Amino acid sequence: MNTRCAVAHPLAVATLAAALVASGCNKSLPTSEELSPTSPTSADTGAGGWRMIVVSGPGQFSVPSPALAGSASYQSELASIRTAQANLSVAQRQSIEYWSGGGVLRWNQILRELVARYNLPPAPRDDDSYVFPDANNPFADPAFPFANPPYAARAYSYVALAQFEALKVAWAYKLQYDRPAPHAVDGGIRALMPATGVSAYPSEDAVLSGVSTELLRLLFPAAVEEITLRAGEERQAALVSGRAAASDIAAGLALGRAVAAAFVARAGSDGMGAAVGNAAQWQAFANAAAARGEVPWQSLESPPRPPMLPNFGQVRAWLMTPADVARERPGPPPSTASAEMQQDLAEVKDTVDHLSREQLAIALYWNDGAGTYSPPGHWNDIAAEYVRDARFSEVRAARVFALLNIAMHDAAVGCWDAKYAYFNPRPSQLDRSIRTSIGLPNFPSYTSGHSTFSAAAAAVLSYLFPGGASSFAAMKDEAGISRLYGGIHYRADIEAGKEHGARIGAYTVSFARQDGADQ
Amino acid sequence: MLSRKALLPFALASLSCAVLCAQTLEDGMMMPRKALCTGFLYTHDGWDRYWEGTLERGNGNIGTITTESVTWFGNYGITDRLNVIAMVPYVWTEASQGVLHSMSGFQDLTLAAKFRLLETPFTSQGSLSAIVVGSLGAPTSDYTPDFYPLSIGSASKRASTRTTLHFQSKQGFFVNGSAAYTWRGKVTLDRPAYFTDGQLYLTDQVAMPDVFDFTVSAGYLKGGLQVPITFSQQSTLGGGDIRRQDMPFVSNRMNFSRLEAVVMYALPKPKRVSLRLAASQVLSGRNVGQSTAFTAGLLYTFAF
Repeated sequence: MNTRCAVAHPLAVATLAAALVASGCNKSLPTSEELSPTSPTSADTGAGGWRMIVVSGPGQFSVPSPALAGSASYQSELASIRTAQANLSVAQRQSIEYWSGGGVLRWNQILRELVARYNLPPAPRDDDSYVFPDANNPFADPAFPFANPPYAARAYSYVALAQFEALKVAWAYKLQYDRPAPHAVDGGIRALMPATGVSAYPSEDAVLSGVSTELLRLLFPAAVEEITLRAGEERQAALVSGRAAASDIAAGLALGRAVAAAFVARAGSDGMGAAVGNAAQWQAFANAAAARGEVPWQSLESPPRPPMLPNFGQVRAWLMTPADVARERPGPPPSTASAEMQQDLAEVKDTVDHLSREQLAIALYWNDGAGTYSPPGHWNDIAAEYVRDARFSEVRAARVFALLNIAMHDAAVGCWDAKYAYFNPRPSQLDRSIRTSIGLPNFPSYTSGHSTFSAAAAAVLSYLFPGGASSFAAMKDEAGISRLYGGIHYRADIEAGKEHGARIGAYTVSFARQDGADQ
Repeated sequence: MLSRKALLPFALASLSCAVLCAQTLEDGMMMPRKALCTGFLYTHDGWDRYWEGTLERGNGNIGTITTESVTWFGNYGITDRLNVIAMVPYVWTEASQGVLHSMSGFQDLTLAAKFRLLETPFTSQGSLSAIVVGSLGAPTSDYTPDFYPLSIGSASKRASTRTTLHFQSKQGFFVNGSAAYTWRGKVTLDRPAYFTDGQLYLTDQVAMPDVFDFTVSAGYLKGGLQVPITFSQQSTLGGGDIRRQDMPFVSNRMNFSRLEAVVMYALPKPKRVSLRLAASQVLSGRNVGQSTAFTAGLLYTFAF
């Protein structure tokens, strides 16, 4: 009897549960930014003349002249758009709405998602060793890449600058060929995306799809399928929205890919391949610090993990020469044997032991650790709102992300140069009772990467959006001090990092003042 | 634990006392009218293995995660058929290795109403009762849910509905089955974006998947002694897995099955005092720690 009761009952409750599950409310949250379709306030038709960094100029790439408006081939392209518009699927409408938010903003958002997805350190193997991600075997465990802060900074900068330069080339040819959009030449075609004020050939949406795909498949090869699908959707949206004809898109895609090739070639020889270093070199850092009478940095992970990208300081910067990087390197941190260091250490200890809820919130807000879009991604997130509100043309939106991200890439190079020059221990290494409320980064302490990134970003964004300058400055300071609250940095790391980042950001600001966009 | 949060309600819910001092959310017993059972329970929960998604592993960067809690508990009989129950734990968490900071604080207040729908003779051997429970839970402090596995809870508001069937034989043996569906409100993080379940979310709001759980108990209950053995299983109805070498996240799909043995004993002297001792072991799970927990409690019954 007892048994029968016990058996019968769970079935009854399972039925009840099923009913409850079926009636469960929809709790979905938006997974992408809300970007309402808007036309730019200026078309920036002269952007083809803006100064470039990697590309020598529009003439480096040839874009064949388009077929005449009256040609049979073009008329047939227009007819196919009319047919497509008469049979729009729900998915196509959603895609048009999505990409109407702006191709540059959307790709930036996609990139932030890719960084967050791949920003995970390799797990130790059973024998306590670590295997480095392999670009030629990206689906393995560990997956390639480990999109840590330097990797992410470089990735954001390659994608953003390649997009910017490709769009500048596109703008030059748009001005030259001046072919109107399909909706402007054919009364039977509706404009389902906001007007851009620039001509249609080559299509900027296709340029973006092509250049972004090529860079992202290099940087995130395991995501190639998703990237390719997104890029295809972008081109399809441009076509069926009446913004671009098939030949506009074909020319844009070819141009985007061609410009990407120049950046892919640079990426292959910028020093990233050697950034991991080797065991002998890691030991040499420790030996050099010890020889200077300093306590060398040690990994506090278990098992100990090799330091993150020790040679990233030698990766090629965008606007700084190796001599610039060396010249801007901050002076040494307080000696680990000094009273000043003891004082700094005591401040960290006191902070983590008496952390207020508000301080914890600040530490968590700016944590940007493993599994997130990283500190540079956080600043892209911040910039995206300003770009959205500014109603920029695609090429000017691309300029914001390009300038922001080349500055943060150069900040990463400069910061990593300093970190491995000094090989300074984290607070928790010198005082094992210091416990952190965010993850402890596995690389030397001095200077604070977050402070360096943030100061460089704030400098660039303050130039581009002067109205936000005080806000950027406050965010930079909060991002810096968050590392003290988190227990992972001394105050000296933060102060030196901010000064260093501001100096590095100035290189980009100086470029921006003369690139032709603001004259 | 990874599911620190997830396991606590069970630890708390299983605190049946003997005879005059009874009642958990899922047992088959009621306090009589105008009687109050109240007291404190101490729980020590530890794990050094956990499931990263479905992969069982240890992690030298946390070692053993220990969670201790002291829970105040009260159950009052408004009538013989309607009880109200309240409980609130104070929780401490700590990692034995690595650098992560411990956390502590008052966790969530749970308020429940427990109503016996029917109690009827069933076969010649005993009686069957059916009980429904409605409960609400909410954080009592501003703790962060963004520091798993050391967060003291999920910081989500909850509403739960539970149905229990209880068969009690005249000889003292019983079987009990209970199941609940728990709705969980959104959680707010201190950061503007997070990645979970394969997606980047550009918001500080986290949608918390609902939870279904059931327990099956069998044991002996007579006079001042209650000795149940309970199998329980929790299924989180959504949420992502912990990614390889990632930290756990508040909305992860935290599932587990657990076995618990309890001894409740009403002391002959002093009267009205009962002791509760419990031990439990998580048998299998997903995105949770392989917890071993011990509970000791002292409860007192007032009759008004």
